[in-house]
Amino acid sequence: MAAPMELSCWGGDWGLPSLHPESLTVMAYAKFSGAPLTVNTINNSWRAPKGDVPVLISEDIVISQPAKILNFLRKQKYNADYELSAKQGADTLAYIALLEEKLLPALLHTFWVEAENYCSVTKPWFASRIAFPLSLYLPGRMSREALNRILLTRGGPPLYSLTEVEAQIYRDAKECLNLLSKRLGTSQFFFGDTPTTLDAFVFGFLAPIYKVCFPRVQLQEHLKQLPNLCRFCDDILTCYFRLTVLGFAYFNEIKTQAIYDYLRAVLQRTCMLHMGRGRSNAAAV
Amino acid sequence: MSLVAEAFVTQLAEEQILLSDNASSLAVQAFLQMCNLPVRVVCRANAEYMSPSGKVPFIHVGNQVVSELGPIVQFVKAKGHSLSDGLDEVQKAEMKAYMELVNNMLLTAELYLQWCDDVTVEEITHPRYGSPYPWPLNRILSYQKQWEVRRKMKAIGWAGKTLEQVLEDVDQCCQALSQRLGTQPYFFNKQPTELDALVFGHLFTILTTQLTTDELSEKVKNYSNLTAFCRRIEQQYFEGHDKDSSTTVAARSAKRSLLR
Repeated sequence: MAAPMELSCWGGDWGLPSLHPESLTVMAYAKFSGAPLTVNTINNSWRAPKGDVPVLISEDIVISQPAKILNFLRKQKYNADYELSAKQGADTLAYIALLEEKLLPALLHTFWVEAENYCSVTKPWFASRIAFPLSLYLPGRMSREALNRILLTRGGPPLYSLTEVEAQIYRDAKECLNLLSKRLGTSQFFFGDTPTTLDAFVFGFLAPIYKVCFPRVQLQEHLKQLPNLCRFCDDILTCYFRLTVLGFAYFNEIKTQAIYDYLRAVLQRTCMLHMGRGRSNAAAV
Repeated sequence: MSLVAEAFVTQLAEEQILLSDNASSLAVQAFLQMCNLPVRVVCRANAEYMSPSGKVPFIHVGNQVVSELGPIVQFVKAKGHSLSDGLDEVQKAEMKAYMELVNNMLLTAELYLQWCDDVTVEEITHPRYGSPYPWPLNRILSYQKQWEVRRKMKAIGWAGKTLEQVLEDVDQCCQALSQRLGTQPYFFNKQPTELDALVFGHLFTILTTQLTTDELSEKVKNYSNLTAFCRRIEQQYFEGHDKDSSTTVAARSAKRSLLR
């Protein structure tokens, strides 16, 4: 058995174990491969997130990017791609490149650059999980980095204004979603019946778009028109993250209506049980 | 409608062109040859400034100017020539994914090697990039371009990588391409597509460009089916066609060595 491994990443909400695509990818892979990871979500403590998140700490080794973390897990014999053929392994790399080139800019834009989304949802959420006074600075920096990345990679001539770049990246993202939907077809996961690295990456990118409730949701609306991708996300959440989701919802602020109702129902039943006992005791007395 | 006029593929001058631009230019040439469209390669020192997107190569057909492989493929498709019509939806998705893989890994690695590796920058890139211009303009322009490329590398997270890590990424990419190609003549069996053109452009350029070290080309040479693929496309589309394009591809300045 390997040394105990700790993953430090952003927490979750809206039914997700994490809002951050890369953290979600690593968590999904760990579930698929059966790696025993202790997940520490970044909360309002002074252990501020230094640089790249997610971070895997195992004894003295500190690894920061998702690709490297996944490589490390594979070396520790937690390999979700064991049954893939060489060609399928090559396809995995290609589709991950497609996600990073076509979908990631629009994802970053929805979270960090779109003014309404950023001010009403992203910034308060992240700021509530970072200690003061970093909470005043860090979300702004993440937003600037996202905009920078979008402009440097996609915003050259002939696209001269931010609106043109935005239009282009959303077009590309929608095309990417269509391509993923065609590739997935009717099967449960991308390579048959067991989830692999590609499923982890696709889940990591799609689930935040699918679940987080933003004011401006053009990408989410497009995703909801592709039922097989929605079913893919829901399946992974229910099969692999059910307990974690409930756990998180209990300790974090409860936003999901279904979970709130469930807990309220449990409470009511418990109260009625107590009251019933009380009455019967009183009656006995 | 068919392409009546000849397409001029414009690229930077022989002495000026760099590895990544040459790869992109060769990919476009290969694509147009595969579509059986006549193409003439024209070299201009200010090609980057003429291009509508700031990147070479671009084609000039009639009174239209289109740059970069993606838009060129769309443009040619609109005119009625397409290499990927015979593919079904899933294959088209795969093709697009692999093209993104090549752009994401190979092209970025080439840019990294040219502009972020100090040895290569000093010995090859700076002299070549600024060669048409007098001092101090040559230094200013190449430093400006270097600063731009380094900014982009930093934004996508490649600035922290070492040369070994970049070469490992190239190896991973070549391994994926090799596994996908297998023993087939082209990536989608019998017919070449734009993916074949793109892969050929990059791999052939890597194999035939002499840099300060041979590590990059060694990574590609490890995969014999990829070298055979390049040779096959070179023989089929670049020899026996009009002398101009074959001499442009085969005959380079002293810094290059031929595949054979």
